[in-house]
Amino acid sequence: MHSNAARTIGKERMREWIGRLMERAEVLAPTSARAGDIILRRISSPLEVQWGGDIPLLPPKQAVLPQTDPLVSIGRGPGGFVVEPVYDETPRVLFGLRSCDVKGIEFLTRVHEYDLADAAYLRRAAAVTSVSVACVAPCAFGFCICCDAGPFLADSFDVQLTDLGDRFLAEVGSEKGGRLLEPSADLFRTGRADEVALRHELEEAAKRAFGPETCHFASAMRRVSVGRVSAELWDEIADTCLECGACNFVCPTCYCFSVKDQARDGRWVRCRTWDSCQFRAFTLEASGHNPREAHRERVKRRFFHKVSAQYFRRDGAVGCVGCGRCVKVCLGTSDMPAVVAAIRKGEWHG
Amino acid sequence: MDNLFLPRVARIAAVRDETPDTKTFDLVLRQGGEPRDFTFSPGQFMELSVFGVGEAPFCFASSPTRTECIQTTVRRTGVLTDAMHTLAAGDEVGVRGPCGNGFDVAAATAKDLLFIGGGIGLPPLRGLIWNVLDERDRFGKVTILYGARTPTDLVYKDELEEWARRGDVEIHVTVDRGETGWTGNVGMVPVLFDRTELKPATTLAYVCGPPIMIKFVVQELLMRGFSPDSVISTLERMMQCGVGKCNHCCIGHRYVCRDGPVFTYRQIREMTE
Repeated sequence: MHSNAARTIGKERMREWIGRLMERAEVLAPTSARAGDIILRRISSPLEVQWGGDIPLLPPKQAVLPQTDPLVSIGRGPGGFVVEPVYDETPRVLFGLRSCDVKGIEFLTRVHEYDLADAAYLRRAAAVTSVSVACVAPCAFGFCICCDAGPFLADSFDVQLTDLGDRFLAEVGSEKGGRLLEPSADLFRTGRADEVALRHELEEAAKRAFGPETCHFASAMRRVSVGRVSAELWDEIADTCLECGACNFVCPTCYCFSVKDQARDGRWVRCRTWDSCQFRAFTLEASGHNPREAHRERVKRRFFHKVSAQYFRRDGAVGCVGCGRCVKVCLGTSDMPAVVAAIRKGEWHG
Repeated sequence: MDNLFLPRVARIAAVRDETPDTKTFDLVLRQGGEPRDFTFSPGQFMELSVFGVGEAPFCFASSPTRTECIQTTVRRTGVLTDAMHTLAAGDEVGVRGPCGNGFDVAAATAKDLLFIGGGIGLPPLRGLIWNVLDERDRFGKVTILYGARTPTDLVYKDELEEWARRGDVEIHVTVDRGETGWTGNVGMVPVLFDRTELKPATTLAYVCGPPIMIKFVVQELLMRGFSPDSVISTLERMMQCGVGKCNHCCIGHRYVCRDGPVFTYRQIREMTE
């Protein structure tokens, strides 16, 4: 078993630690990109890690569920077609994740374990270890506190860092996390009681910093689950949606996909690719019939999958980690907090 | 842990034209040379792929009691089915499955069985019909009501005659519009109800066909005293994975690919988008 004892690492030693992690795994971390965006990508030097700043534009789901995810290789052999499974078990460290994004990966893993286990997803995810940094203040659009997904995590993490000024407190939350720290034990020392106490003070302060305007999932869940949201309200919500699918693609918990054969080097690779329940073609049948022809049906579908009690019972959580990305990217106003508020009030003030 | 997306390679052993736009394919799984290690229930489906073109769900049109091949009947309606229709004996396709729940054959034991098919809705019933006929003693009276737009659109024409010749099956066929030489019934499927004696209390009704036909048939059955639990149908939705992951086929929190495609009318009635 891993030891839960907190450790500390001086900030001057972080480059050394990240460098060592890079020797054993692909390390993905927040980096600064053009136009001031922060994006999570594979780094080639510890210097590329962007500390602080905005939440990365895209969640880390690309590391467990790539936008184009090869599943099966299809080629021709002397005896006919040859089909082989494709797996990606590259060791990866996701460094500097936000708490909400750790919860997002946990959610994705749970849905891919549910019922029929999805080996392609699970093998890739098993090789991923996260090092998250607890948030000491709310971010611009975040409401993780309503989703049990931050600002600090009590569980679900591999390694959780807390910024204590000139050093980080490191907590190990899983065996994978323990294995990650083990070879670099010399860079850490055992955390002192006052350091652990400071971490808890920071957590309490971070929680208090969230305003009273939170996301009221409970009442929205009650109404969505029993179909007590009027068609008129869904229409009004749909009127603010451009059907671009951005909310799906930036969502840490969205995982709907389509399967396509892509030609590559004289063979085909059958891939799953991200899809969006907001696209009309998502449910369009070959006959031309579409059970979700009306835009309101597609918007309703998104929020039923996200917040209904039926899915909550299945997945053990709402399909939202409060990262706020949909708030940021939505060109209209049909983001999670706005829709939850509208459902709760029974009217739209978008 | 198996790869959910890995198809088996199957060889097309034979192709038969059913109608101008519908063909039946006999498939033999290449591994092992015969499909004996591949078990399925009537009402389940497979994800069938034309390599390089894509994959889509198709019902098993054959019975698991017939192990020489698995069969599926495909109407041309899109890119994949167009590609299917260019294939011939000897060509290879991918088969993944079986997927879905299937008909509960054990629950049908000793019951009278009423099969009602419309157009391309007969193939999923055919698997169950042959299963029942191959184990004929286990079941009560077997009645088949089948309708299509025109006589040309009737599938399994030889088998319709074969079933009519058997003494242990009652079968009535109708078409919406007759053609030259057609001497049979004309009218929608519900016109056939008056041709047969129904015993709602001891009968299970299996209904497959276009949505409009299902609607009228189910109304008729309920009016004639069938319980919503005794009316059984299969649902179709746009599907990608067939294994409960891609979320294309959801109706509420139900997955047509995992919870279905076979549902009782009571279950269907309670589903909401």
